[in-house]
Amino acid sequence: MNTPSAMPTPTPAPTAAPAVSKPKVLEEIDWASKQYLIVDDFVGIRQLLRESLRSLGARNIDQASSGGEAMGLLNKLRYDVVLCDYNLGEGKNGQQVLEEARMRQLLMPSSVFVMVSAEKSVESVMGAAEHQPDAYLVKPITEGVLLTRLNRVWRRKQIFRLIDQAFIEKDYLRAARLCDEQIAANRVHEIELLRMKARMLERSGQPARAREVYEKVLAQREYHWARAGLGKIRMADGDFEQARQMFQTVIAENRHYIDAYDQLARAYQGMGQHEEAAAVLERAAKLSPNSVPRQRHLGQAALRLGNVPMAEKAFRKCLVIGEYSIRKAPDDYLGLARVCGLKGNTKDALQLLLLAQREFGSEHEHMVLRAKITEGHVYHESGDYLNARRAGDELEGMLQADPKRPGTAICIEMATLLFAVGVKGTPNEVLAHVIRNNHDNTLLQDEVQKIFDRARLPDEGAQIIRTARKEAVDLMNQGVVLWKTGKLPDAVQWMRKARERLPDNVRVLFNAVQILISHMQQRGYDPELELEAREVLEHVDKLQPGQQRFAQLMEQLGALQPKPEPASSALSEAEKEDAAPAGKS
Amino acid sequence: MEDAQHSPELFLFLASTAHDMKNSISVVSGTLERLLDGGSPETEKAYAQMAQMLYQTRRLNDNLMQLLALYKQVGKPAYPFDVQPIEVGQLVEQVVAIERVLLESRGVSLELDVDPELIAHVDEDLIVGVVSHAINNALHYTRDRIRLSAREVDGDLEIRVEDNGKGFPPALLAAGTPGSGDSGVNFVTNSAGLGLYFSGEVARMHRHRERHGAVRLENGGPLGGGCFILTLP
Repeated sequence: MNTPSAMPTPTPAPTAAPAVSKPKVLEEIDWASKQYLIVDDFVGIRQLLRESLRSLGARNIDQASSGGEAMGLLNKLRYDVVLCDYNLGEGKNGQQVLEEARMRQLLMPSSVFVMVSAEKSVESVMGAAEHQPDAYLVKPITEGVLLTRLNRVWRRKQIFRLIDQAFIEKDYLRAARLCDEQIAANRVHEIELLRMKARMLERSGQPARAREVYEKVLAQREYHWARAGLGKIRMADGDFEQARQMFQTVIAENRHYIDAYDQLARAYQGMGQHEEAAAVLERAAKLSPNSVPRQRHLGQAALRLGNVPMAEKAFRKCLVIGEYSIRKAPDDYLGLARVCGLKGNTKDALQLLLLAQREFGSEHEHMVLRAKITEGHVYHESGDYLNARRAGDELEGMLQADPKRPGTAICIEMATLLFAVGVKGTPNEVLAHVIRNNHDNTLLQDEVQKIFDRARLPDEGAQIIRTARKEAVDLMNQGVVLWKTGKLPDAVQWMRKARERLPDNVRVLFNAVQILISHMQQRGYDPELELEAREVLEHVDKLQPGQQRFAQLMEQLGALQPKPEPASSALSEAEKEDAAPAGKS
Repeated sequence: MEDAQHSPELFLFLASTAHDMKNSISVVSGTLERLLDGGSPETEKAYAQMAQMLYQTRRLNDNLMQLLALYKQVGKPAYPFDVQPIEVGQLVEQVVAIERVLLESRGVSLELDVDPELIAHVDEDLIVGVVSHAINNALHYTRDRIRLSAREVDGDLEIRVEDNGKGFPPALLAAGTPGSGDSGVNFVTNSAGLGLYFSGEVARMHRHRERHGAVRLENGGPLGGGCFILTLP
């Protein structure tokens, strides 16, 4: 039988030169002078990759045998190309190295990050990871394939260079326009550019335009991300049932598209079907268990349902997989502490709260406060009302010592606890703060009113809500009047005061930026005012991402002062800083 | 089912063992390629044996890759199928890059007849794997020429790998022709069957609207030997 396993005698030496030539480099890319980092726990693979890079002419090649070692090197040096294995043994895996490097901005926009793996992993491919590598390589890696892929990524980076730049500057409307320009010239990248364009339109609060883009893609071919994108837009419109159907279609077609499960769970939550949401998250977590945010989401959903065993399992998994991940957060510890409290194990709960403060105290502003709130809830739920009240009093003391208030969600959690343990007065003040900062959010007002109702203070609550709303509206209107009557410096001053009083009020913040921009448009560019406007917008984007007005104001800010064309290398960063007000006007 | 009793630990153990094997095979085939690429029958006494070893290493790796992917397909965390648009020229460039040294060392020429601008919507790694495997297979049958062509036929992408050997044996032809008896290939008695089965699975995963991909085997063609034909919607 003529089967490949029984090989005939080795072929004699080649007589004629084979017709196959070495793969040609389409454009001459100078791979020799670049800075390389190879990360693999297997020494043989490191040597192999190093040899391959050497034959491309590379001279500067560093190596790391673990994720931790890689982070150390990435901290010290800016690499042009990182070849990183996914499985790195004990410690961080390749995806965690990438996430941390991107979040800590250790990679340049032009850097190429290539993920190497023995096989494709669900997590790495299925849009589950927020931070995607520029390319995947499946072992064994031949030199030719490495070069082919590096060249391709490089060409892709050129096409996306200006778009990425606009994205980093958060000028999403410019980025979307640049996508259009590139689509005209690059047919192969059309789908990818459309995907980027849709993302930019979503970020700039224009779901209707994003929807058109997704529909255009789907007319060509059934891409799951486009179908899921449509679902997300439906969900943002509040049409949870339509969104649910779309995500379920995607899952029926491809039951490993993890992102669709996460979105489906959100759709269920939007409809108040929390049992279903938790069940979907549980399935997703089984399929792809190594995402910290997904396990956290599952834990919180289970906690909400009172499903203590499920919550415990999810939060414990969170801590295990979060050990080496930059994605870990205080919520994981606080969630598990609540679980311990519900199980009557206050000792472990308090231990976890201590751990959380030790772990996150330096980076998270309100860590001590949040730990104290959770402590109060833990005592209260376990029936230790004396200690719960003590925690409430301590919280009150902390609030009096520091006039700065945390974000809306934390404030609500805190007010609920303070009422529950019988602290008077302070929760009123905290909830007034919440309303002042969200004066046009009727859903939230209903929620706050309910908290007052439960505390048996319905009338007092209604009065507090009314007064807080009025204060916010008055502060904002006065600024607008000053602006409209042309008293620009006064308007700027007034809005600074308003921001102090309403630090998280998105509408006030937007107006403040609008007035700063007007000032510059009419009285000339001022780098300090621009910086102030950008800081305010930065803050808004954290509070409520994806606002249309954010995108519009970013674009107006960008148009104020023409910038030099960004260069492809790290130089552009330096140029931008040097070339501040001296640019053309 | 017995499969349900497999613990996650066992799966993890198998996966990490497979990763380890992949690493070793990578090192062996990479080193062999490097040695062959730098040498010739005149300078290397063992050139022919090394070429043979590279061929066998490729077979090992192909089989391991296919088993891993197939196992994942039926086992728990299935293969993440990832379709992206790509120029056919890019696909072929990679296949050539993978096969170049092996082809040279065996004295076989690869003729290309490809429309490089054609755009394919495929899982790149899978399709590059299937086509490379077809070339490895053709290496076994061919005398000295292999032809790789890619063109559009009735809206489908058709990729053909042809050789100038004696052609496929009847049993394989039957197994590779759709509608010829049972659809399942008995790859216990036929070692080429696994590759064919795998290629068929990969082709079928590629779908567009109502159509899906397929593979078939024929004898004849421009070179008069075996033809492996992959069509993708």
